[in-house]
Amino acid sequence: MPFTKKLQKFNATVRSVEVGTGDKAVTLGGGNTLPFYSFDAPTTNTAKIGIEISDMGLAHEPDCIKEVYAGCETVADMAKKAITMEGVDFLCLRLEGGDPNGENRPVEELVAVAKEVAEAVDFPLVVEGCKNVEKDAELLSKVAEALQGKNVLLMSAKEENYKNIGAAAGLAYNQLVGAESAVDINLAKQLNVLLKQLGVDSGKVVMNVGSSAAGYGFDYLISTLDRVKAAALGQNDDSLLMPIITPVASETWSVKESVATEEDAPGWGCVVERAIDMEVETAVACLACGSDAVILKHPTSVATVSKLISALS
Amino acid sequence: MTLFDVVFSGADTVYGLAEGAINAAIEKHGADKEVSFPGTAYCLPCYYAVTGTKVTNLGELKEALGVVKSIETKNVKLNDVFMNGVGTALCAEFIEALKYLDGADPYEGTGCSGHLSDAVIRELGVPLVTGDIPGVAVILGKAPTADDAAALVKSYQAQGILVTLVGDVIDQCVEKNVNMGANVRVIPLGKDVTSVIHVVSVAVRAALIFGNVEPGDSASLMKYTFERVPAFVNALGTLNPVVVACGAGAIALGFPVVTDDVATSEAVNIKVPKSLIVQPDISKFNATSLEARDIKIKITNIDIPVAFASAFEGEIVRKKQMQVEFDGSRVDCFELVQSKEMTEIEDHKIELIGPDFDTFEKGSKHSIAYIVEVAGKNMQSDFESVFERKFHSYLNCIEGVMHTGQRDMIRVRISDAAYDAGFRAKHIGEVLYAKVKNDYDAVVDRCQVKIITDPEMVTKLRHEIAIPAFDKRDDRLKSLTDESVEVYYSCIMCQAFSPSHVCVVTPERLGLCGAVSWLDAKATNELEPTGPCQVITKEKVIDERIGEYEDVNEAVKKFSNGALEDVSLYSIMEKPMTSCGCFECICGIEPFSNGVIIANREYAGMTPLGMTFPELASMTGGGVQTPGFMGHGKHFIASKKFMKAEGGIERIVWMPKDLKEQVAERLNATAKELYGIDNFTDMVGDETIAEDPETLLEFLTEKGHPALGLDPMM
Repeated sequence: MPFTKKLQKFNATVRSVEVGTGDKAVTLGGGNTLPFYSFDAPTTNTAKIGIEISDMGLAHEPDCIKEVYAGCETVADMAKKAITMEGVDFLCLRLEGGDPNGENRPVEELVAVAKEVAEAVDFPLVVEGCKNVEKDAELLSKVAEALQGKNVLLMSAKEENYKNIGAAAGLAYNQLVGAESAVDINLAKQLNVLLKQLGVDSGKVVMNVGSSAAGYGFDYLISTLDRVKAAALGQNDDSLLMPIITPVASETWSVKESVATEEDAPGWGCVVERAIDMEVETAVACLACGSDAVILKHPTSVATVSKLISALS
Repeated sequence: MTLFDVVFSGADTVYGLAEGAINAAIEKHGADKEVSFPGTAYCLPCYYAVTGTKVTNLGELKEALGVVKSIETKNVKLNDVFMNGVGTALCAEFIEALKYLDGADPYEGTGCSGHLSDAVIRELGVPLVTGDIPGVAVILGKAPTADDAAALVKSYQAQGILVTLVGDVIDQCVEKNVNMGANVRVIPLGKDVTSVIHVVSVAVRAALIFGNVEPGDSASLMKYTFERVPAFVNALGTLNPVVVACGAGAIALGFPVVTDDVATSEAVNIKVPKSLIVQPDISKFNATSLEARDIKIKITNIDIPVAFASAFEGEIVRKKQMQVEFDGSRVDCFELVQSKEMTEIEDHKIELIGPDFDTFEKGSKHSIAYIVEVAGKNMQSDFESVFERKFHSYLNCIEGVMHTGQRDMIRVRISDAAYDAGFRAKHIGEVLYAKVKNDYDAVVDRCQVKIITDPEMVTKLRHEIAIPAFDKRDDRLKSLTDESVEVYYSCIMCQAFSPSHVCVVTPERLGLCGAVSWLDAKATNELEPTGPCQVITKEKVIDERIGEYEDVNEAVKKFSNGALEDVSLYSIMEKPMTSCGCFECICGIEPFSNGVIIANREYAGMTPLGMTFPELASMTGGGVQTPGFMGHGKHFIASKKFMKAEGGIERIVWMPKDLKEQVAERLNATAKELYGIDNFTDMVGDETIAEDPETLLEFLTEKGHPALGLDPMM
């Protein structure tokens, strides 16, 4: 019997969301097939990769990252260098120094860093907060104000602070809103609905449905990604048709596979290779299950994942 | 004079002023002279928003005046009142705009702000959208005394409401040293009544910036300001026609006006329900205004002398540390929520009837009753019991207070430490008030609490109010059948760990966890419209016998994200409802007797199916349909809808003894009603009788169990 190719066609298309302005702007989402199913329909828009830098500079970074940014004195210097790496589509600035349980840097100081970076590079920008919901509500609102006209993606609005971040980024200052929920399709959906009710244009929302490193509760994330994609495309569920962005580096670079020294884990091989492997493996699995963008840290990871995306798309 | 005469004359006055000012300005500067407000991209924002036309010079302003003339029609219709109000607002904007000719700063040195820039609106807009600024008060005119003015402004300020001031009230606040400025959310706009346009301009630009309203789409504009800008007007002192015309404009935008001018209001017989309110007592302006605009203030601090947190929920107050105890098993006690008419309730009134804790001897037992009376536009008496069930958690969250039981079987203990810290009877009221108001703000507009410690009074009220109320509720619950309601509810609270499971909650089939009844689901839906409980209609019957509906199937398919296609409500064999994993009980088919056995979660032993509860659970949960097995709540066992399609409860052949005792009374009543069987549970086996099918069958045969005579289930 001859093989008859049967195409899986969906009546839905994930919304396209443009980040940044001008020639360098990147578009997230826009797909109407399962990830990398280019045999079902041509890929209109490939998955994108962001490179992450922190307001804390290099102080807490592992040696291999310090080497990458050798010679950089300011965060803006790092930004300039980061965007030259092969395969980078956008820059992600993490304002982790704002965490009240950590460095607790004041909002004004962090806004100044964000401004400095935004002025230093002409490149699509994603700004991540410090993960403290109260601080982020204020911080990301102020960043949205300071970076008016840059069309930046602010991550993330959560159930607790979506009103502040949604109103500031999505309504007042015309930026993009990252909607973060904790590995649960219904919570993701609910947050999108709430943002819509607030008045935020669904075309300006990018979802972060959760993140984790491979092997660390990763199956929950994978199944959530899978289900979100299936419901969005299969059921044309308007409240799930937002592109998905997944921060990978912030998860993988702190697990033991990436940090245990060669003395502590002699059988595991080179620590740098391990860390990069963790980052690449996690990112690729996320992309294969539905992420439209991933955020990575090491240039080798970025280059590797970028090659994979172009080969499969 | 009628309201129409007053508004039309006010509108004409302002129109005349605007016309005169514009003509004079053109004469002086020429028609090409530029007109604008500083710091805005929206030209003359109100005119631009209403008409979609940008006015940039005096000539265009003159044309705009012509447009205003055309909308200020003078028919004796309510709509004309509103249009003249809008026209008046636009004329006020024109007059104010002329003050800014040549880049002048007309408000410099006056202590007033005048026009507010776009940047200020973006900054104020965010807290307005998030509710951090719960409302915007526009106070204009003159209060009876300066103290009244200061008190009113401060009352709003304390609630986080943004206050804008127009006219003499500004001087009154200055006189009383009221701290003013954008940073303290009190903004004096200007002394002329036309300066009120600067706050209207804020509302209008909020609609353009935050609401994406297209300039010129005045219907959407008014919808936005009505729904999303929680502003209201307090018009103090004598109402002149200009103020009334401005008020009409405010009402057109959806902002109610509260006035203390009884004389004028009566003279012109003004009646615009819910929008124009006469409140002669200025001390009640705050409450009247908030209610008129439906503004709810979040209570962040409960005023009690001890801590309040969920950390104290499990705290036990032992006899030794006990200051006083109220024990419903010894003396009369009860707790009750009652819905009332709005007029019957004074918000935040907490009343103690009887002696306070001070007069009780340490370690003594007394009577107590607390009645929480609520009212609200969306309140339904079905929610009373839902709130009441939360009292247990509310009172336990108080440091040093322990609460058990419900209705008139409560026990409350107050620790000596809490007493020493100053905890008294009224604080129970404070906690109940704050929690009910906060948690149920979607349905509760007013709330007051009565605490009764007078033992005779408690006894009297228990018999006269409480018990009849509980009986009425029980009757309501009994009368609630799947047929008597219009809709069912979905519940997907458990989808976090059981992604494809959906509970369909009906009056006669509560959620399988036992925690979500139809009333709970209804309340959850009302309070959290985007939440886990959504309305499911049941209009298109497919099969009455097994309880299958087209609309229920559609809902299940949607909420399970396509994992489930169809489900029956009353069958265990055909398309049974799925289970998440939190079922209180599992019912499974027992082939030897044509019956089913039920095992509850607490039961650790073996069942006649050769499987323990965990083994049964492993094949029942996970949101998959397993015909022959079904998870359910304990309460469902006595329901007439329990596997109705297969014959109902007479199929039950075995239950653990404990469970059997828990459900016996209700189950026997149902069996009597459905089949005329007395003491049905005596025919049902348990672990003391049999743990294997053969012994069970012998027992059932001996008892003449009805299941034996039924058709096989498969």
